[in-house]
Amino acid sequence: MNPNDAHLDALESQTIYVFREAYRRFESLAMLWSIGKDSTAMLWVARKAFFGRIPFPLVHVDTRKKYPEMLAFRDRITHEWGLELIVGENTEALQNDMGPHMGRFECCTALKTKALQTVLDERGFKGVFLGIRRDEEGSRAKERVFSPRDRNFQWNFKDQPPELWDQFNTAFGSETHVRIHPILHWTELDIWRYVQREKIPLCDLYFARDGARFRSLGCMPCCAPTVSTATTVEAIIAELEQTKTPERAGRAQDHEKAYMMQKLRSLGYM
Amino acid sequence: MTALTALPNVLSSKQNSPSAASGPALRIVIVGHVDHGKSTLIGRLFFDTGRIPRERQEEIERTCREQGRPFELAYLMDALEEEREQNVTIDTTQSRFASSRRPYVIIDAPGHREFLKNMVTGASEADAALLIVDGVEGVREQTRRHAYLLALLGVRRVISVINKLDTLGFDRARFDAVEEETRHFLRSVGVDAQYVIPISARQGDNVVRRSQATPWYEGPTVLEALDAFEAVTGDGDRPLRLPIQDVYRWDELRRYVGRIEGGVLRRGDPVRFLPSGRTSRVRTIERWPSAGETEARAGLCVGVTLTDEVFVEPGEVLARQGDEPERATELTASLFWMGRSPIAVGDVVGFKIGTADAIATVVALEERIDSTTLEVVERYAERLAECEVGRVVLRLDRPIAADRFDVNPRLGRFVLVSAGVVSGGGIVRELRDERGAGVRTVRLDGLLATDATGVVIDLRAEAGELDLVAGDGLLARLGSGERLTVLVSGLTPLRALVRWAYEHFVSFECNRELEGARVILRGRRLGTASEQFTAGPGI
Repeated sequence: MNPNDAHLDALESQTIYVFREAYRRFESLAMLWSIGKDSTAMLWVARKAFFGRIPFPLVHVDTRKKYPEMLAFRDRITHEWGLELIVGENTEALQNDMGPHMGRFECCTALKTKALQTVLDERGFKGVFLGIRRDEEGSRAKERVFSPRDRNFQWNFKDQPPELWDQFNTAFGSETHVRIHPILHWTELDIWRYVQREKIPLCDLYFARDGARFRSLGCMPCCAPTVSTATTVEAIIAELEQTKTPERAGRAQDHEKAYMMQKLRSLGYM
Repeated sequence: MTALTALPNVLSSKQNSPSAASGPALRIVIVGHVDHGKSTLIGRLFFDTGRIPRERQEEIERTCREQGRPFELAYLMDALEEEREQNVTIDTTQSRFASSRRPYVIIDAPGHREFLKNMVTGASEADAALLIVDGVEGVREQTRRHAYLLALLGVRRVISVINKLDTLGFDRARFDAVEEETRHFLRSVGVDAQYVIPISARQGDNVVRRSQATPWYEGPTVLEALDAFEAVTGDGDRPLRLPIQDVYRWDELRRYVGRIEGGVLRRGDPVRFLPSGRTSRVRTIERWPSAGETEARAGLCVGVTLTDEVFVEPGEVLARQGDEPERATELTASLFWMGRSPIAVGDVVGFKIGTADAIATVVALEERIDSTTLEVVERYAERLAECEVGRVVLRLDRPIAADRFDVNPRLGRFVLVSAGVVSGGGIVRELRDERGAGVRTVRLDGLLATDATGVVIDLRAEAGELDLVAGDGLLARLGSGERLTVLVSGLTPLRALVRWAYEHFVSFECNRELEGARVILRGRRLGTASEQFTAGPGI
């Protein structure tokens, strides 16, 4: 067998195992779907785990600053794959014109973290799947697969219970919700190779138009495209095998100030 | 000692040499005593494999110069602010580099004692380990503890590096002495170091580049030694084991799902589930969107349908008939305890093995072991404290299917759950099934007889675990003052009888005889007649 194929099989298998373990252990689950490549690939694996269906709703946090292409893609896939979609937003902050001009940290916290917290509280979800990866940035490298957040949504990364041999911590107090990270062990390149092998549809913005493409997708004011001529998945893989630029270079919140991402995430950011 | 932790922040996400970074990565954990040079070694591997861009290196050199501190590779690894304050690695983190042969994931494990649970988390998913020993200091407390944990966690591919040889003038005699000390210790814990390599992580000798300073050393560099490992697990050669994770009743099908932990599953296989013993045959193997796989190998998550509708709960293990795991209600294990409070004899904790859950009672702590010296500190101890290791006997509240660790590691390791979190890891040394062929349900009413002494129930034919039941009539007779004699042979039925008596508020007098015991049961009035024989609290 092709070693790459075996590698992708192993990644996929681990992800399926995590999905099924969470489904077995949690009464109310949801999956955060950012419409990006990672959570869309993760969604594909979830369909494999549950034989074509998704037995929990998807949550999209809408900051009203997303690209129209992202929303169009979201609605198309929701229809085609028969998904149950919950769109969450922080209405109050949006009415008060929250935006990066009020500070990126404040904007991310209000429009993303707070909006997510509201959806989880209202619907009483005990576990939420997130498509983060260890290789994205430093604080994500420390994550556990099952990672509890306290009542105030905070993450205590200094004191995490051990996780070994795929025996996960799934019994937490009723006031905690648990972040579940089924693709924590994948890399950016793994995602693209998997997208290629499985022919997973992705939002058009990932593919180059007029000499540029998005490598990581988010809100319009804080997201910059990278120079690229890659118009196909194959070309993107070839590009990533050569690149010296980090994946999230185009994401403003990562570079705002030192440790901003770690602070955001310890307060409940994704 | 500084940390590698924030590499993904400090570095670009992909700095691998262009030819590499494809195919499966080998996951390596780097362990050793604090200050023996783990971070420097990691930094060296990154530098010399081109993982860190030149500009970045120069920038750090400049910063260090401006701050008037010597340039240290380890400094680069130090990026989370909390870590700067504490100056130690605070958690397991993972970062990547690549050789020309394949990519690597480095799982960083901290050297400080209080962070051992993170090291265990990291090492439990490693394919291979690098154990670093300071050539000046030799084997120290954490070297021993970490090596012992590698053995406990089943990491068998180990490279030992003897570091800081530059400060020893690359003295061969000193290297030989530390090598001998290291090998001796590793052997005593059952780990065979495939290579012991003299290095200077700071200068780069024998890490990626072959050193000119060690002409007497003919073995591989660290990177060559890592490249020599094959990333095969051997799980496919073992007997078929499919722990059932869940059963999905959709699409008018009953799909048993799980990950194949050993062997190869084939359509048409005659299978048996343990511990229930139910049998059937594999009808389909499903990996969506395909439902027509003819076989699936170890490591894959599958769904299985069977030719019969058998009732099987999550936690059972599907195996090929005739090549099955053991059924057990009691086990002896090596345990590494990570709970904040000690675990003591008599404690009741959660137990997870494969996909099965049970409640375990600590029956005995046969040995408490000092993991730094491997000496048995205490026999039949009362408790194990955090970070202590021991030999423990656990009794389970229900039967499970498992293998001994030396037979099949993936079904021979378990965790203990205390206060809701994983607090201990263990590997199975012995399995026992006290119930023999299973629990037998015996109706006491049906065995009533009379002999010269009065009313007698003879249970001497029963040797295994019993579930005793009695109707209201029998309880009423006991309650009215009638005495009942029960003859038993063996502790297991006696225990069942004690349990039954306790649960039904029945008094109990046991007379030991040559071949068993003669037990006299007598009811006891507790209040009104209607309250008399309601079941008491279960045990």
